[in-house]
Amino acid sequence: MKKDILRLGIALALFAAGACAALAVVYTVTGPTIAGHEREQLQASLKDLFPDADDFIEVDGAIRSSVPDVTVMGSWKAVRGDATLGVAIRASAASYGGDAVMLVGVATDRRIAGARVMTISDTPGLGANATNPAYFVDKAAKTTFPGQFSGKSVHDAFEVKNDVVAISASTITSKALTSIVKEAGVVGSAWLEANASGGSR
Amino acid sequence: MKRMWKIFVKGLVVENPLLMLMIGLCSSVAVTSSVSNGIGMGLAMTFVIVFAELVISLFRKLIPSDARIPIFIIVIAAFTTMVDLSMQAYFPALSKSMGVFIPLIVVNCIIMGRVEAFASKEKPLDAVVDALGMGLGYTWVLIGIAALRELLGNGTLLGARVMPEAFQPILFFILPPGGFMVFALFISLNLWLKKKIATGDAVREAA
Amino acid sequence: MNLAKIFISALLIDNIVLMRFLALCPFIGMSIDVSKSVGMGLAVTFVTVIATVVTWPLYNFVLLPLNLTFLKILVFILVIASLVQLVEFFLKKNVPGLYASMGIYLPLITTNCAILAVTFDNISKGFNLIESVVYAVGVALGFMLSLVLLAGVRDRLKTAPIPKFLQGTPILFASTSLLAVAFMGFSGLIK
Repeated sequence: MKKDILRLGIALALFAAGACAALAVVYTVTGPTIAGHEREQLQASLKDLFPDADDFIEVDGAIRSSVPDVTVMGSWKAVRGDATLGVAIRASAASYGGDAVMLVGVATDRRIAGARVMTISDTPGLGANATNPAYFVDKAAKTTFPGQFSGKSVHDAFEVKNDVVAISASTITSKALTSIVKEAGVVGSAWLEANASGGSR
Repeated sequence: MKRMWKIFVKGLVVENPLLMLMIGLCSSVAVTSSVSNGIGMGLAMTFVIVFAELVISLFRKLIPSDARIPIFIIVIAAFTTMVDLSMQAYFPALSKSMGVFIPLIVVNCIIMGRVEAFASKEKPLDAVVDALGMGLGYTWVLIGIAALRELLGNGTLLGARVMPEAFQPILFFILPPGGFMVFALFISLNLWLKKKIATGDAVREAA
Repeated sequence: MNLAKIFISALLIDNIVLMRFLALCPFIGMSIDVSKSVGMGLAVTFVTVIATVVTWPLYNFVLLPLNLTFLKILVFILVIASLVQLVEFFLKKNVPGLYASMGIYLPLITTNCAILAVTFDNISKGFNLIESVVYAVGVALGFMLSLVLLAGVRDRLKTAPIPKFLQGTPILFASTSLLAVAFMGFSGLIK
């Protein structure tokens, strides 16, 4: 009886060890590639918001959200030489199908440099249109939903159906994303105020 | 050779896991909202089932019967993790779009079922052929359902616009209820096919 | 995120069966009558909560610090499988009636996509332990709710005139489709 259990235990242990070893190998091979993708995506997005910047320096934990619904996940200072161009803030909030993550750029002139949706798991055809490059909130000017925030002053109301155009039939998504941009604008400009001299109101 | 062909074809129609045996349904309704997701899932699952059946068949004499379920789980989980890591590394966009469904391959009843019923008792080559049949049977159904849902729900196939500009996509098909409805029709179609095959066989036997 | 919000989202707005399409096998198989549905629902709730309580600390205090996160799938499914074995053992000895009536579906709880999905979600949504447990209970009860609903529908279907091409399993999926439409109405429930 005891011998049987020992046999079973050894068989299990051997298979488990084999599996772990195989996986460790696969992980060492794929790990760097996966991390690389994330880095590339971040760099590309940061550059998109601040095309004139030549470097992005991570701001360590100093920027935090002031409202419970939005979480600030990270921030990067966009610099060109010695001058600060602005700050990019990655923040998330609960949307229709899970958390939505955006990267919002706040320029030193207290305007939104741009907003990009990084992660969204809402319904295709509805909330997911936030990342659809062919979906326009302003068909004449061909402005996408996140595109409408570019150049907006951080002091604006940021209210859906007021100064923000919603994605049709996706109020929840629109509100969630707007709240992210608004909060990023608030804390971003506060940080710039305290840490970067210059810039107009 | 003919015997192996028979094993392979089984999974494609007569014993199609999704439509006939009705197992592995979990992920199918979810991933069929677009053809690319359907193909991704189908191929990922096929990879896991082929290697799982292969390894378990190779070691079938060394797996003690009382510990077989945990060992099957270990093997299937290992290959699922490999697929998950590989997709994250080499197909990041697809991996993100499929979300939690790739890791969920580990609980896909089809793989567990075939490993228990077939691979643990048959020779490696037969096991691989069976796995290929089941995997491809799963994949073609996924693609079929996804094509219908994407075409009617979004007007596109694999992201490329196929329906004329005037066609107003019927959102229903991409949403959960549409998925269930299309699934109902596919099963209905398959039951009909099954009946036709059965009566066809009966007629041939009587003749 | 406050707990009530997490709970209601898991139970209704993001219902694991009707909105996320998980746990379909037991959904179709065990919704034959209301009592079976409740029995299955309670078993699943129990396993899900214990699985959460075991996997959450395992991930955050063992896998993460040791850089072994790639073993997540392997470790989580083994925890669930072991838990189900324990539940089976317990029921066989102490509640043999329930054990017999659940039959093959008891060990099949291991392959219930919903339970594994919950353990993964707890990590990806960054919940703390309390939030994870609340989420787990919400999802499991949502699962039970959808089973009970379909069981009720199946009862009515027994005496309904169903078109030939929908008889059998197809009508179950068609009915589920309508249930899903109803649940989509919950999407504006919070805020």
